[in-house]
Amino acid sequence: MKRRINLSYYLITFILVCFIAIPLIPLVIFSFSYGWKWPDLFPDQISLDAWAYVFDFGSKTWNSIMTSLKIAVTVTLINLFLALPAANILGRMDFKGKWLLEGLFYAPIIVPAFVSVMGIHMTFIQMGITDTLLGVILAHIIPTLPYMIRALVISYNTIGYIWEEQGKVLGASSFQCFFYIILPFILPGIIAGCSLSILVSLNQYIITFLIGGGQVMTLPLVMFPFISGGDPVIGSVLSLVFMIMAGGALLVMDVLLKKYYVRNVTLHFS
Amino acid sequence: MLQKSKPVIYLFPATVVLFLLFGGGIWNGLLQSMGYFPAANQYELTLEYYRKVLVSREFLDSFLVTIRIAGLSSIIAGVIGLAVSVLLFILTKEKSGKHGLITQKLFQLPMLVPPLVAGYFILLLFSQSGWVSKWMETFGLIDRISDFPVLVNDSFGWGIIMTYAWKESAFVALMLHPVLMRIKDVWLDVARVYGANSWKYFKCILFPLLFPSWMSALFIVFAFTFSAFEVPFLLGVTYPSMLPVYSYNLYVGGGLEVRPEALSVNIILVCMVVFIGALAFWVSRRWYRKGQGGW
Repeated sequence: MKRRINLSYYLITFILVCFIAIPLIPLVIFSFSYGWKWPDLFPDQISLDAWAYVFDFGSKTWNSIMTSLKIAVTVTLINLFLALPAANILGRMDFKGKWLLEGLFYAPIIVPAFVSVMGIHMTFIQMGITDTLLGVILAHIIPTLPYMIRALVISYNTIGYIWEEQGKVLGASSFQCFFYIILPFILPGIIAGCSLSILVSLNQYIITFLIGGGQVMTLPLVMFPFISGGDPVIGSVLSLVFMIMAGGALLVMDVLLKKYYVRNVTLHFS
Repeated sequence: MLQKSKPVIYLFPATVVLFLLFGGGIWNGLLQSMGYFPAANQYELTLEYYRKVLVSREFLDSFLVTIRIAGLSSIIAGVIGLAVSVLLFILTKEKSGKHGLITQKLFQLPMLVPPLVAGYFILLLFSQSGWVSKWMETFGLIDRISDFPVLVNDSFGWGIIMTYAWKESAFVALMLHPVLMRIKDVWLDVARVYGANSWKYFKCILFPLLFPSWMSALFIVFAFTFSAFEVPFLLGVTYPSMLPVYSYNLYVGGGLEVRPEALSVNIILVCMVVFIGALAFWVSRRWYRKGQGGW
């Protein structure tokens, strides 16, 4: 009996690993291939040409990675400043008409961003912010801000007001209260919110294209012609770079914020 | 005074930004879908464009294809997500090891993959000259590239369905996770005492408990797939295209005079998605109210 369970457990795990990993395999092989023909299971020749092409500093790809990250980080910082005070109230207070505000804050999660961006396109043209970084950043706020607010509201939900009041009684300023009491509490929420915000911003294709008008080239925009019928070798490399960029951004932020967290908490207790 | 106005000041920035960008965008889209276009001196509101869209063959075909693809993707993702989380749950409990957690975490990876890249995975695997086709030739199942069925950029939408089934099954599992966490170990033992096998345990105990979250996860996946742009843009066909792609083609492909039609497609899309979202919310809410005493 025990053996059968063990066996089926490993079998399921194996199937699961295949389910997740197999789609990645042709992509990785393609990125190192040269002249891979049907029906060879693996290419005859291995080449790093495509990687060299993509990682040529100052190239279109390199610039687009920088543009993608610049937009994602700016959008996330703006979101953080907008969401922190809003979540502070939404997560801890009940008031009349709260559901209406929550509706406005969470609706962009389910309503696709291109709908509102297409609607606002004309206005952006009149304001002269299409084809600019500013316009794209504003457009990216729509699908990302709701995730930031949601993540922070969940964090604020668990705090209540007693901790802050205790700090005030002991003579802490509002600033100190935030940094030494609130921040350590909500940091996991900040990490989650920032991660989601960065990831969602990096993934945007259509709204960047509509507002950026081909002038603001992020990585998905540079990648698209290659993966839709273009060179599959470069398409594969760019896809891998895209995944690494997204994963790397998440990792760096997680590490940075955790480092900050440890330093502050130790400071706090020492 | 300052204390009273504090919530308002705190909520103000985020509200204004979303109200202007999101609300303003929808509002502008609604006006333009009714033909309001000041730049061309058109100030009259009309429902003519909605009529035009709703009676057109293209819209009907796009609508049907969108329902089919979104429906199949959410059902397949739902079945895979449910099967994986329940199997892992039961097996981990019986084995009482810690591996289950790592596997669960691993299973969430597809969610982090950018949609365009996930679509490209499927394209490289299942296109006529893809990796699967290469394996089939090696095993002698097919002789020519053209023997392999068209599964990507096909008019049925299998490529899009496979991409979302792969990506969203992880989301379904994530939604089921909190419910599974609340299920006590002893319930399985109790079920055993009364003579239930694993299948009975699933059918009579696990599934009824999971059902509301599972349904609401399915609705959310459906709404997402229904309104997603990137993957259908990469893996779809020119005709019939999914509604978001259809709207985009009208918007950029046609002249200024068809733009109101694109925006009416958008507004119809929003109504559908909001309706489905409300359904998901209602399903989960009803369960919370009823389920409190249950467990």
